[in-house]
Amino acid sequence: MSTETFEKWYREDRLPHIFCTGCGNGTVMNCTIKAVDAMGWEIDDTIFVSGIGCSSRAPGYISTDSLHTTHGRALAFATGVKMANPDLHVVVFTGDGDLAAIGGNHFIHACRRNIDLTVICMNNMIYGMTGGQGSPCTPVGKISTTTPYGAAEPAFDLTELAVAAGANYAARWTSYHVAELIKAIRAGLETPGLSFIEAMVQCPTAYGRRNKFRQVGEQVEYMRSHAMLLQKKRRLEEQGKDVPDDMFTVGEFVRRYRPAMGVPK
Amino acid sequence: MQGNAACCEGALAAGCTFFGGYPITPSTEIAELMALKMPKRGGVFIQMEDEIASIGAVIGASWTGARAMTATSGPGFSLMMENLGYAVMTETPCVVVNIQRGGPSTGQPTMSAQGDMLQCRFGSHGDISTIALVPSTVQEMFDLTVKAFNLADRFRVPAFLMSDETIGHMREKISIPDSVEIIRRKEPKPGMLTYEAEEDMVPGFPTFGKGYRAHITGLTHNERGYPEATNPELHEALVRRLVDKVESRRHEIADYDAVNTGAETAFITYGPSTRTVRQVLHDHPDETIGHLNLRIVWPFPEDTLKLFPNAKTFIVPELNLGQMAREIQRHVTGQRVISMGRLGGTIHTPAELYDKVQEVA
Amino acid sequence: MRLVIDERRCKGCNLCTTVCPYHIFQEGRHLNERGVIVPVLDRPERCTNCRLRHLYGRQLCGACQLICPDQAIYWEEEDPYAAEKVVIEY
Repeated sequence: MSTETFEKWYREDRLPHIFCTGCGNGTVMNCTIKAVDAMGWEIDDTIFVSGIGCSSRAPGYISTDSLHTTHGRALAFATGVKMANPDLHVVVFTGDGDLAAIGGNHFIHACRRNIDLTVICMNNMIYGMTGGQGSPCTPVGKISTTTPYGAAEPAFDLTELAVAAGANYAARWTSYHVAELIKAIRAGLETPGLSFIEAMVQCPTAYGRRNKFRQVGEQVEYMRSHAMLLQKKRRLEEQGKDVPDDMFTVGEFVRRYRPAMGVPK
Repeated sequence: MQGNAACCEGALAAGCTFFGGYPITPSTEIAELMALKMPKRGGVFIQMEDEIASIGAVIGASWTGARAMTATSGPGFSLMMENLGYAVMTETPCVVVNIQRGGPSTGQPTMSAQGDMLQCRFGSHGDISTIALVPSTVQEMFDLTVKAFNLADRFRVPAFLMSDETIGHMREKISIPDSVEIIRRKEPKPGMLTYEAEEDMVPGFPTFGKGYRAHITGLTHNERGYPEATNPELHEALVRRLVDKVESRRHEIADYDAVNTGAETAFITYGPSTRTVRQVLHDHPDETIGHLNLRIVWPFPEDTLKLFPNAKTFIVPELNLGQMAREIQRHVTGQRVISMGRLGGTIHTPAELYDKVQEVA
Repeated sequence: MRLVIDERRCKGCNLCTTVCPYHIFQEGRHLNERGVIVPVLDRPERCTNCRLRHLYGRQLCGACQLICPDQAIYWEEEDPYAAEKVVIEY
């Protein structure tokens, strides 16, 4: 059944794609396609919008109408598409640099407006497409081409940012947790209002190579072992126990039903 | 009514159903009137967080088939440049109204200027070609807005209404017709690829949601729309087509008035200076002073200069330091071009222009 | 059903070797003509989807297909009377 789904939704004439060996973006694309198909949406009613970067090359491989826009502005274009024709289902693919750096303003306003979009951010903690420069999500101390002495600036927590700005659904999973990622994307697609799903992905070529992850599998293993469920983290904090610094939280951060814009009647 | 209000009425008459904007003096009235009138007609008004988001939303809306526009002024116009280049590359029709004000930078928000004339043609990076219309009366604010939508849809290119604070804020009586001519976007023929074009170099428009399954990207793309950024011949062919589709028709779409074509001295004007020259001609009807009023400034119709065969001097009064005078200078065949640039926000006086004629004659 | 790795798409990242619950995917040893070391299948008849897809009428497991970034894994129908190894559960 999956094979037919993939054959239907992917532009088979353009595969194999340009992503590197072991890139997590391919996995997140698979999960998104699975979730979109499970929603029962038609190819002709779904629009994918993306910015610039490795993550944003994804719509070029999917059979729907798609808009590959300028760096950081995917949410502005997606807002226009959705408001002009609310019956279309709009899904946005972005990356950590595209969303948090140049697109930061559009991100917080899209969350504030709570416009009925689903935003899937493939956070590989680096600017992959352009060769490995640091991004606002590169953790402190990590190496990239523009932070050769280790990143000095603290990193964003994108999901918390989405929650604070008012998104209706915010969740974070990794490209290892495929089943939960599909469920989270499905929940996001179903929730009216802005749904933000952050997928931590591995970037073996730019991030992994410079930060001591020799194999693709090592980085995925790191994500598996350092992902802590949100409920567990809250429980540890209540009990006053220490949460190790290098663990990051995964899970559904918020699901609420604030009034949303652009919902079809 | 006010010039800005006439622009709004023109857009609504032309079938505009999406306005995404950001307030900036002196174009704020357009946004305010759109906020009032759009929802009543079932359209969408959205105030975006900045001008970059405004033009982004306009382009996104245009892809769903809506006629979309935004209105801004100098500083916002500079912000929009990247996305306007995107609209040219992806061949998205949209209308951008620029009510020009004193620049550079924050400049004179409440005074008039025409300092963005070269920017609308050359502002975005790379080689592009766009269409710029310039109104000189409030009636033209209405008519040229309608024309902007039609030209944008016909050529699949952003069309600019380069007005200024004088025309935008002045009040005159206008007449609004019951219906206006609407030229819609071309439908793609079945079997044709996303960016495949016929002799007019304009491909059919694959509206989103209708099953065309088009991939639209700002990267250099082949006729299917797929990015192919490292192919030199493809890129050259693509950019030449984007430029030629507009430039090759510049004389067909040229919109101008040519008065006293036998004169030896002629004014070439656009925008508020047209009004001053008309006053000069009115005050001195016995003298032969020629006047060429351009309503479509880009693509520049250089053959209109040939309409003045006896002219030895062209005088170009404009509210900038000679931006269009440069372009005219490129095209003259031996005539003298005198640029009368004026800054500060107030327009030329008839006496000033008449004195110049006497001086050069 | 039969488990197949599409060698035109596989880029040799070996993520499938980490997720399969039966360790059917093992790291390969030989380069193919594209220069990629494609994983080899160790007794693929143990794959749940291969064995029980027709019984249950829907996709089972499928973790490998989902995690493969290159969409290189798929199942196809086998020829009706082809020889196959059978695993008997009792």
